[in-house]
Amino acid sequence: MKRLKEIFAEVMSIEEKDISDESSPENTESWDSFNSLILISELEKNFSLKFTTKEVMSVKNFKDIVEILKKYKVQDKLLS
Amino acid sequence: MIEKIQKELNLEKRKQTKIAVLSSFTIQPISEILKETCYKNNIEAEIFVAPYGQYAQQILDSGSELYRFGPEIIFIAVDSEDIVITEKSLEDYASLIMKLKESTSSKIVVNSLLLPVYSSKGILENKDEHSNTEIIKKFNELLEKESRRSNQLFVFDFNKFCMRTGYSKLRDPRFVYLAHMNISLESLEKLSYEYLSYIIPLVSLTKKCIVVDLDNTLWGGIVGEAGISGIKLGPDKEGKPFVDFQKKLLELFNRGVILAVNSKNNLEDAMEVIKNHEYMVLREDNFACIMANWDDKVTNMKKIAERLNIGMDSFVFIDDSPSEREFVRKLVPEIKVLEMPEDPAYYSDTLDKVQDFNIFSITKEDLDRGKTYSLEKKREELRSSVGDIKEFIKQLNIKYKIDYNKKDEAPRIAQLTQKTNQFNLTTKRYTEEDILNFMSLKEYLVCSLKVEDRFGDYGLTGAAIIDKKEIGRWKIDSLLLSCRVLGKEVEFSFMKEIISMARKENVKEITASYIETKKNAPAKEYLKNAGFTLVEENSEKTDYMMKI
Repeated sequence: MKRLKEIFAEVMSIEEKDISDESSPENTESWDSFNSLILISELEKNFSLKFTTKEVMSVKNFKDIVEILKKYKVQDKLLS
Repeated sequence: MIEKIQKELNLEKRKQTKIAVLSSFTIQPISEILKETCYKNNIEAEIFVAPYGQYAQQILDSGSELYRFGPEIIFIAVDSEDIVITEKSLEDYASLIMKLKESTSSKIVVNSLLLPVYSSKGILENKDEHSNTEIIKKFNELLEKESRRSNQLFVFDFNKFCMRTGYSKLRDPRFVYLAHMNISLESLEKLSYEYLSYIIPLVSLTKKCIVVDLDNTLWGGIVGEAGISGIKLGPDKEGKPFVDFQKKLLELFNRGVILAVNSKNNLEDAMEVIKNHEYMVLREDNFACIMANWDDKVTNMKKIAERLNIGMDSFVFIDDSPSEREFVRKLVPEIKVLEMPEDPAYYSDTLDKVQDFNIFSITKEDLDRGKTYSLEKKREELRSSVGDIKEFIKQLNIKYKIDYNKKDEAPRIAQLTQKTNQFNLTTKRYTEEDILNFMSLKEYLVCSLKVEDRFGDYGLTGAAIIDKKEIGRWKIDSLLLSCRVLGKEVEFSFMKEIISMARKENVKEITASYIETKKNAPAKEYLKNAGFTLVEENSEKTDYMMKI
C-alpha cells in the first residue's frame, strides 16, 4: 500500500517535500479539477474505500484529505 | 542472424496521427488516456479535446479550433442524458453530424446514443411507440444507415460497448455531479482501447497474419506424445474450447486474415492432425504456410515472413507457452505477441478483444486472400518442377488488364497505397477520398492493374497515379505492385501499357522518381530496368526520365 504523500506527489507531479498541510488548489498549480478526480480514484483504489460526494466537495487543502482518511481509519504511518 | 533481424526492425518509427474528440460532457481525461493507449501500440497521437460542451459550436463554426487542428479522425461522444429526447432534437443532432461530414474529409466516428437503462414507465415501457427508447433506437438506426452509404462515417455501437464493459461501471454518479463526467475513468480507459480499433487502420498498422502454435494452442495436449487420438479436440468439455478457438480463427481467415503455423513438432505428426483429425476446423488450405520443425520460433517467423512476403510488423503471434512468447517478443518487438490466458476456456475471448485486424472497408481481394495463398502454393510447385524462370512465366500464362479512373476501384487502390511497402516507387499513402479526387481531376490519371494466370485471379494488384499537369510530359506520382505478382515480369508489362497510353495522348516524355525507404529495395532498379535514364540522384530521391 502506498502512502498518501506518495500518491499525492505522483498525481500532482510534484516533490513530496513540497507538500504541506496548507497545499491547496490555489497554491498548487497542478491541482486542477482533472487531477482532483484522478487523486480521488487513486486514493480509493489504494486504501480500498469510497468517499461520499460531500467529502470530496469539502476538501479545501491537503490537511482536509488527511482528516477524511483518518475518519476511514487509515493507519497513521500511511498518512505521512 | 537473430541479432541482425532485431537491428533492422528496431529502426521503425512510430506512426503519427491527429485525433479530435467532441463531447457533450467532461471527457478531457481521455486525452492522456488515449495518448498512452496509442503510444503502447506504436502510434504517436496528437489529441484535441473540444472545450467542455462545445461540440455543436465546433462543428458549425468553419473557423473553429476543430477545423484548424486538422484531425485525421474525429470521435463524437454525445450522451443521450445530455439531450432532451424528442424526435425533433435528434433530427437536429443528426443534421449536425451530416454538417460535420460535409465540412471535413476526416473519418468520423459517432457513438450511438445510449438507450435508457431504466424507465419510469416500468413494465409498460416497450408498449409505448413514442417512448424515449423507441426514439433513440430509430435515431441509431438512421445513423447506421447513413454510415453504410459512406466510407467516412462510422458508428461506434455504444450500447454494445456497455454490454461488454458493464453498464454498472459506465458511470460514477459522484463524478457525474462533481464534474459532469458521464463516463468513469475506468470506462474511459476501455473506451480508448475500443477507439484504437479505428486508429490502427487509419495509420495502416492493421495486422495481416496470425501465426499460431499447435500443441495446447489449436488443440489440447502434445500430439508428439499423445498421438492423434490422444489430443483434446472435439465436442467434449476439454476439446470444445479448442474447437471454438479454431472457429474464431476461421472467421478471421474468411474476412481476409492470413493464417500460418509455427510449432515445435514433427511435420508428419502435425500434418496428420491437420489433415485427418475429425474435429479439426482449420485444414491445410487455411494455412498459407506451415512451419512444424525443431528450429527456434524466431527463425521460423523470419521464414514465414519471407515466404508470405510481408513484414514482421504484420504478424500476431499466438502461443500457449510464456517462454516462447517472451522469446519472440524480446527478439522481434514488431510482432504483436498475444498474452494468452492459461485456461483454454478464455482463448476465444482473448482473440475477440484483439483490435488489430480492423480495416475501413473490405475489398474483394480481402475476401479472396485465403484462396490466393493456396493458389500460390500451387504456383510454387510448378516453379520448382519447371526450374527455368522464363519457362515458368510462360507456363503460367499470365493475362492482365489495365483500367483507368475506375471509381469503384478507389477503395482497393487506396488500400494498396496504404499497405504496399516493397514494390512502391514513392510510398505515398492515399485515402479513398484522395484517389476519388485524382480520378475526377483532368490533371491526373489513375491506372489500375488486374492480373490472372492459369491457376486463378490475383485481383487488383497494381496501381499507378500519373500527374499530367505539364503539357507533353507525364510525371509518375506513384507506382506500386503487390508482392504477389512480382517476379513474373508483370511490372514491365504494366509500364509498357502506361507508355503506350502516353503515346496516344501525344506525350513526349515521362518522368519518375524512386524514393528510398527501409522496405522498398525491390523497386530500386525498376525504372532503370524498364528503360528509363537516370537524371539525378541525391540522398532523398533518384530521378529518372524517358523520351518516347
